[in-house]
Amino acid sequence: MKVYDVVPGLEFDPERDLAQSPAWFLDGTHSVPPWTPMFGWFWINFCRHGMQWGAEKLSLPTVKGWDWRFMNGGGYLTLLLVTSEEEKQRREGEFRKAILPFIQDYEGLWGGFVKEILSRYGALKALDLDKASNIELLDNFEETIDTCRRMWEIHMYMMYGTYTAYILFENMCRDLAGIDDTSPTFHRVVSGFDNKVFQVDRRLWEFAQRAVKDDLANTISKTDPPEIRQELEKTDKGREFMSDFMAFMNEDGWRMQRMSEMNLPTWVEDPAPALGMVKQFVAKGGGFNLDEERKRIAKERQEAEKELMSKVPTEQRGWFQQLMGLAQKSGIFSEEHDHYLDLYTHAMMRRSALGLGRRFVKLGALDDPEDMFFLIPDEVRRAGINPDQFDLRYIVARRKAEWQEWQKTPNPPAVLAPGFDLDQAMAVLVKSNDPIALKVVVGAMPQVRPELKADLYGTCGSPGVAEGPARVIMNEDELHLVKEGDILVAASTSPSWTPVFSMIKGVVVDRGASLSHAAIVGREYGIPVVMNVFEGTGKIRSGQRIKVDANLGAVYIMDK
Amino acid sequence: MSEKWIYWFEELSTADNDLVGKKCANLGEMSRLGLRVPPGFAVSVNGYERFMSESGAGEQIRRYVSENRGLLDKVEFQVQAGRQIREIIESKEMPKAMREELQDHYTDLCKRLDMEDVSVAVRSSGAVSMPGQMETYLNVVGRREVTRKVIRVWGSAFTTRAIAFRLEQGMEMEKAPIGVAVLKMVNAKCAGVCLTVLPTIGDTSKIVVEGNWGLGESVVSGEITPDQFIVDKEQEEYECVLGDKTKMVCYHPGGICFSEVPHEKRCVPCLDELELREIVRVAKDVEAHFKVPQDMEWVIDSDISFPENVFWVQTRPAKYMKKKENESEYLAELMSRVFKM
Repeated sequence: MKVYDVVPGLEFDPERDLAQSPAWFLDGTHSVPPWTPMFGWFWINFCRHGMQWGAEKLSLPTVKGWDWRFMNGGGYLTLLLVTSEEEKQRREGEFRKAILPFIQDYEGLWGGFVKEILSRYGALKALDLDKASNIELLDNFEETIDTCRRMWEIHMYMMYGTYTAYILFENMCRDLAGIDDTSPTFHRVVSGFDNKVFQVDRRLWEFAQRAVKDDLANTISKTDPPEIRQELEKTDKGREFMSDFMAFMNEDGWRMQRMSEMNLPTWVEDPAPALGMVKQFVAKGGGFNLDEERKRIAKERQEAEKELMSKVPTEQRGWFQQLMGLAQKSGIFSEEHDHYLDLYTHAMMRRSALGLGRRFVKLGALDDPEDMFFLIPDEVRRAGINPDQFDLRYIVARRKAEWQEWQKTPNPPAVLAPGFDLDQAMAVLVKSNDPIALKVVVGAMPQVRPELKADLYGTCGSPGVAEGPARVIMNEDELHLVKEGDILVAASTSPSWTPVFSMIKGVVVDRGASLSHAAIVGREYGIPVVMNVFEGTGKIRSGQRIKVDANLGAVYIMDK
Repeated sequence: MSEKWIYWFEELSTADNDLVGKKCANLGEMSRLGLRVPPGFAVSVNGYERFMSESGAGEQIRRYVSENRGLLDKVEFQVQAGRQIREIIESKEMPKAMREELQDHYTDLCKRLDMEDVSVAVRSSGAVSMPGQMETYLNVVGRREVTRKVIRVWGSAFTTRAIAFRLEQGMEMEKAPIGVAVLKMVNAKCAGVCLTVLPTIGDTSKIVVEGNWGLGESVVSGEITPDQFIVDKEQEEYECVLGDKTKMVCYHPGGICFSEVPHEKRCVPCLDELELREIVRVAKDVEAHFKVPQDMEWVIDSDISFPENVFWVQTRPAKYMKKKENESEYLAELMSRVFKM
């Protein structure tokens, strides 16, 4: 029996694809562990489309976006380079015009896209999935596909433009003031801004305040997050609380537990992670410390700005100030785009797929709504209007078996043509000058300084020094284990991790660049973050006392 | 009754630019806006033309020019011609009717100020930008002197550069669209400029006030470091950076000159907070009226009491780095270089 490719047209084909490009890199940030087939289909098709769309709209001089392939649940990428000098020059001229909207009205540009995408989500959410006709469900699914495609266009256009400004600012800081993006002064200049993700955290904190006022704090404190909802709904006060809480979830809870996957519940379906945050805020007590920190950090930022500006020649200050403003918006964009774009769209994908999945189960095409994640849109369409006429179980069974196989062996970090090594491959990445490749894939490499006698060396994501017990967290569902005063150790962090930053004293991450989540949020909370230590989660154990000196990029394990 | 050729500032507005020249029209517009300008009057271009025709100077110049037409494109001759033409103008008496009307305005000004023989400045006020029309006479006292200085301002329209300019532009040689401003000399305690934008970075949320002891010339010329006050338009918070005000500009029998600032005054701000607030308040109003950032000149009189002593002598659109234009394109070009490293 023939089963379709997972991503028809974009499955990795070693012979042809290595002839096209000698190096394909695994996207370890997003496709480890391996994706479900449906999620992989969405990502490979539309992230790929969005990068090429964004690079073309901006006419990036040296790069035309990335090409993507799917292999065993992993996303593999390579760069599409501009080869002729003549084309580079033509594109450079176009780029200077295309980038102007970012310089002239960044807020208007980003705000306009946010409005556009939110109105698409609004239309998708307007359909009552359980009362809709089969045709309406299928239409909703098709519109979700289209929304995902549009989301990636906005995502990559904005990201390319924003990161280009950030890299220029970084270069200029190096040239004019001798500081780069791992320097504490640099971090102070780009910190002290509010964004949507923090606003959501603030709402969670407000719910904790309300729980205390409504005498619900005790119930919340002694209950495990998965049972909190049930326990609260035993009393009138608690029901009222949960009703308001769910209304808030329906507004801002369209988040995935794993950012780039759709097989885990959203906060709207299962508010346990969000209630777990409320519980932590209750336990912690006191004010929303981000407010207090924000004032202090904003003041430090103004001083750092002055210090930086004083090193810039007077006649250069006009554009430099403007560039600094743009770079400062990079951090806000980095956080907000996860909320408004990736997380929200993926939640919409899950919502629509499960709506259709429930119908398929009811009419006999599937056994479990979640089996939808093992289908691709063409197969969904087969049974879309008449689910009673088709049996999709055999496709699910075969794909699920394949998916389980993928989980057993890690995908290789890169697939290279014979005779081509990783150093050469990295050199191609750097030479592309692709802003996203530079800020996300390569990052700054840590400097090993034996004189510091540290156990791990990384780069500074947020300045400061801290000491405390380590807490190694590998998945979001372990976040409730974090205690006040811990130092968080993780592979990387994402927006749903933000609330624990109010409790911890420092962060160590295996991978990250200055625009990664841990660095941005660490700066806003004023706690040290050491990034790119590579083997932090491997070497450090929970409970060990560690000391982080982010200024030096050093991590010390005190009791070995 | 002949055509009106003298106007009090408050009778004028920017619509009268061609009639009295930019400076006078501007002072008129400013006083209409409620800005306190040094009191005075304007002699219109009709006054100039009437003088040229009634005194015979116009005819004489025309003759001189037509006799020497062939020589005029030579620079050496232009120098000579300028001198010659100025001599023709300055050698003429002002016709009696005109003289009396002008001098009566001066006397009225003295009455208005309740002062005898008030000291005035007599300044040129060109209707078009033309080099050489910069003549200014300060500390002019008395009816006779005012008349003489008005004639000299008219003559100043014939500097060498102004003659060359006329030739280049194909303008008639004896024409000079020039007005004259006659205004009370301010006894300046301190003076300076006020911009309703930070010009270097185009930040329109701030006002920058710069000032020094004495007359504003020291600030405008850039010869000293003035006191600088940067005021936030919304919050009205301000920062003050004291300049090393070593020298200041004062009046002097022949005009103005630099003199030493006494040591005890060097590290004292030249404006107190009340004066600064008054300057900022007015500047915001004026900017709101013109709807573009303004470059203004203020002076504080030491004889009169606050706030009547805060005078304005200039307001015009500020030149600054506009964010939307050249800076953006420059930044776009820099951003394109990110791809070249």
